[in-house]
Amino acid sequence: MGGQAARVMLDFALIGHLEDWRAAASVLSVLRGRDLPPLPDEELRSILPWIPPRTVCRVVVRSRTGAEARGVYIDSFIPPDQLESRFLRENLARVRDAATCAMREGAGVATLGGFASILLEGRVEGLHDPTRSTTGNTMTVALIVRGVERALALTRRSLEASSVLIIGATGDVGSGCARYLAPRAKQLLLCARNQSRLTTLRDELDANAIIGTLDELAPRADIVICAASLPSPSLLLGTLPPHAIICDAGYPKNMKWSADASSAHFFGGLGTVSAGFDMTPDLEGILNRHPFRHVAHGCLLEGMTLGLERRFESFSKGRGGITPGRVDEMWAMAQRHGIELAPLHNAHGSIEEALTA
Amino acid sequence: MNPAEQAVWADVLSQAVTGEMIGAMNYEDLASILHEPEEKNEALDHAEREAAHTRMFLDLARSIGVTVKGDPTAPYWSRIRNSFVHRADARDHTSCFLIQEVMLESFAVASYGRIAATAPASIAATFGAIAAEESQHVGHAVKLLREVRGRDIESFDLKTHAAHGEVMTTLAEMVARNDPKGHCGLCHGSCVKESLPSVGLCTDDLRGAALRQYMQTLDAIGLPGDVTLQWVARLPV
Repeated sequence: MGGQAARVMLDFALIGHLEDWRAAASVLSVLRGRDLPPLPDEELRSILPWIPPRTVCRVVVRSRTGAEARGVYIDSFIPPDQLESRFLRENLARVRDAATCAMREGAGVATLGGFASILLEGRVEGLHDPTRSTTGNTMTVALIVRGVERALALTRRSLEASSVLIIGATGDVGSGCARYLAPRAKQLLLCARNQSRLTTLRDELDANAIIGTLDELAPRADIVICAASLPSPSLLLGTLPPHAIICDAGYPKNMKWSADASSAHFFGGLGTVSAGFDMTPDLEGILNRHPFRHVAHGCLLEGMTLGLERRFESFSKGRGGITPGRVDEMWAMAQRHGIELAPLHNAHGSIEEALTA
Repeated sequence: MNPAEQAVWADVLSQAVTGEMIGAMNYEDLASILHEPEEKNEALDHAEREAAHTRMFLDLARSIGVTVKGDPTAPYWSRIRNSFVHRADARDHTSCFLIQEVMLESFAVASYGRIAATAPASIAATFGAIAAEESQHVGHAVKLLREVRGRDIESFDLKTHAAHGEVMTTLAEMVARNDPKGHCGLCHGSCVKESLPSVGLCTDDLRGAALRQYMQTLDAIGLPGDVTLQWVARLPV
């Protein structure tokens, strides 16, 4: 176990950013208090980019064993409209400052929320204390594959009889999913921008895996995992078979939904804490925009899980390191504390009933 | 430099000169309530440096052909000065350091730095040099106040919050887009803020940079970031 560098005063730190201006306005409104009017939109957009990364709220997560872990949510305050690559240098500096803030808080382990992890390309070694920073991607992979299994079970299908298309297959999350599913699925269909890495991944997998373009592979897919890092929703999967199910686990969401899309889709990589968690001030309704309580992204749940386990280490170190054994280890820890797969849903609500029908 | 730009710099320099005059007075008062000769001398030295900054700004004003108005009794600045005097009368050294070296100096370092980054070379040089000196004062305060806070965290944070409520509220009003409390008493005509873009400045950036510097200084002293964020979020806009 690593991380003997500084005194541990908190179990975990969750590093994230505000997903849109609506969330930013809501958070600032809570911080201002009910006695003051919300900041006008123009003022919010003027002030937020100047806020240095810092703790926004205190978090207590509960295990079903009765144990608790204490942590903080640290926001990098990356302006929601500055996620593009041209702001890379500034955003990286913010993520590093947020990681430094986590260490100043005395967090046993700091986990990087989706975009922060993407910025660092799944690597933690450049951070203030890499021995205690985790990308959170192992839990994300665990929740994606559990979601895929559940979606197939609800539709009375099996993984062994299904072809799984992975978009963004060479990324940390995509490759982790590929390694986990290779021995379990009928066939893997792998798609990514970097052809060289894609070929290496296919060769690494001892399975029936083929690589190709999205247009080539989509018609053959029974289930699709979107795990790409795209600046905005941009994938259109019009050539998918009607029975295909899509798990959109990309950040930002990869899929652009057309009104006539017939495929079922759900947000992947989300889990729920069955014994609950508290935030002070109470920002859960703002930071968790899902239609169920105590839902969070896998990357944040990895930090909570490691905190509950008192495993203050860099569990997920970066690209290419996610193996089936590590996914199972993370999932076993999560299960011990009642951290489960969130009900399958998308922006319109639960899809579980629809899948069953 | 055209007359419109000169008018803007006259008003900007009036604010800077008045701020430095307040700083010199604050350090003189601080020297009078400190007990250790070394601390007293240091405060007097800082007072002299603030007075030197006033002279540097006045020299700059002359060199660009503008007249500035330095007036510590101007409405916003006098409220800040009164907050300081109130603490000095109570011999509350800690609050005096917080007001002068954390709040006012953070504000000066950030806003002078922004001006140095955008102004013509002759103006930038003066603002840049003074910003560098003021940042040493902030560094001095951080070291000292970290120790003070370590001795009694609760009392220190209460004092900081109280000073913040008075001084930072006033500073926030000064850099708000619209003067909520009326004319500042220093601008020669109407409020200079609307004219700042004509010399490459803008109120939003000055305010943002000042608040960021302030929050980072409080972080360095050891105050919890979530608490200071709530304080800053409640400032007037």
